[in-house]
Amino acid sequence: MAPKFQIKVFQLSRFIRNFTIISVVTLSFLLVFFSKTDYYLISGIKNLSSSVVIPITRFISAPVNVFSNFIDEYNQFRSLKFENKILQEEIIRLKKWQTLAIQNSRENKVLKKLLNATDNNLTLVKTASLINRNDTIYSKLINLNAGYEDNIKTNMSAINERGLVGKVIDTTSNNSRVILLTDPNLSISVKSISDGIFSLLTGNGDGKYLVSSFVKENKMPRLGDIVVTSGTAQIFPVDLLVGKVAKVEKNRFFVLPFVDFKNIDYVQIVTSK
Amino acid sequence: MEFSKFFNSSIKLNIILIISFSISVNSFILMPTINNSFYILFHLTFIYLIFYYYHYYLYLVALVYGILLDILLLNNIGAHIITFLSLLMIFVLLRKYLIRLSSFQIIFFYFITLIFLLLFEQILANLIHSYKFNISSIFNFILISLIIFIPTIFLFTKLDK
Repeated sequence: MAPKFQIKVFQLSRFIRNFTIISVVTLSFLLVFFSKTDYYLISGIKNLSSSVVIPITRFISAPVNVFSNFIDEYNQFRSLKFENKILQEEIIRLKKWQTLAIQNSRENKVLKKLLNATDNNLTLVKTASLINRNDTIYSKLINLNAGYEDNIKTNMSAINERGLVGKVIDTTSNNSRVILLTDPNLSISVKSISDGIFSLLTGNGDGKYLVSSFVKENKMPRLGDIVVTSGTAQIFPVDLLVGKVAKVEKNRFFVLPFVDFKNIDYVQIVTSK
Repeated sequence: MEFSKFFNSSIKLNIILIISFSISVNSFILMPTINNSFYILFHLTFIYLIFYYYHYYLYLVALVYGILLDILLLNNIGAHIITFLSLLMIFVLLRKYLIRLSSFQIIFFYFITLIFLLLFEQILANLIHSYKFNISSIFNFILISLIIFIPTIFLFTKLDK
């Protein structure tokens, strides 16, 4: 009786094993297929990963975060004296600019009144804070604490006080994911302010510069030119600040973004009016 | 007794797997090397589990971590899940040959598997989701792998006693 029972148990465990392996393999290939066609299941998995997995991983990695912050504070403390000197010089420089800016602002107001012009071409959808970031390995993504319940939709633009941060690529009920400008897989159509040269910019892979992947009529902008979104692709609103031309080569140029991607705490999700 | 020993080491390795996964998916912008190192440690732990503690539950582990890594790092399911499952299947096919290898050969094979895995993920991400193949990131991974490989082996051997 006992050997018979053992054989039955062995056969059952073998059946469970084979069934598990076959179902896992089938399920994974189905998921790969569905991820391309964007079914409800994939959206559910993404929702689950944003709302459940990310908080857990944040909790587990909290000690490393504390350590990282400690190192950062130590480094900041070390460079305090040097930064203080730079800041003092900057204050003097900014005071001069402030006087000029106040004059220009007054002049602007008067001119706008004369032209009957509207101020802004943007509609603010939501101001969201960053909950975590995955911008070291593979893509340069950040996760925000607002989703489609806050009217955030894919392809909306994310900006902060310095300029364009990126584009919303995925939304769940309470979270959304933004691809940063520095990601090599994101292209933005831009124009230079001084010459109006149209081009396409992508991330350079180093996470610091943007590099031109296409320049209309091969006209290169000048060093130091300010680059803004052109609005031609109708994804990003027109005239959002992108960066400054930092390096010009024969067939391409590099742009240093205005946004400090290392220090993003809040972003605003906007659309064109 | 033997079962409890197996169970203990397996649990310890799974805890390492969870910790390394958590750290690798939360970017520490000031120290990106931490993310890369733990990403590689995750792969090393997973390969070690397959080599020394093969069990069919690893298919479920591969499925869960594959999906999560794909969603959190690539926003698309594909590269990691296919790589992990392929590794498991290849291991089942090659198991009878791997048993015959000497310890040095196993370590060499272990390292080659790691590099191949990282490379394969990049290639799949490029093929399936059109992610740009990043040579500098591959070199970075290889460099970190070279640095952390021996200490990791040492740690795992200590865990195994």
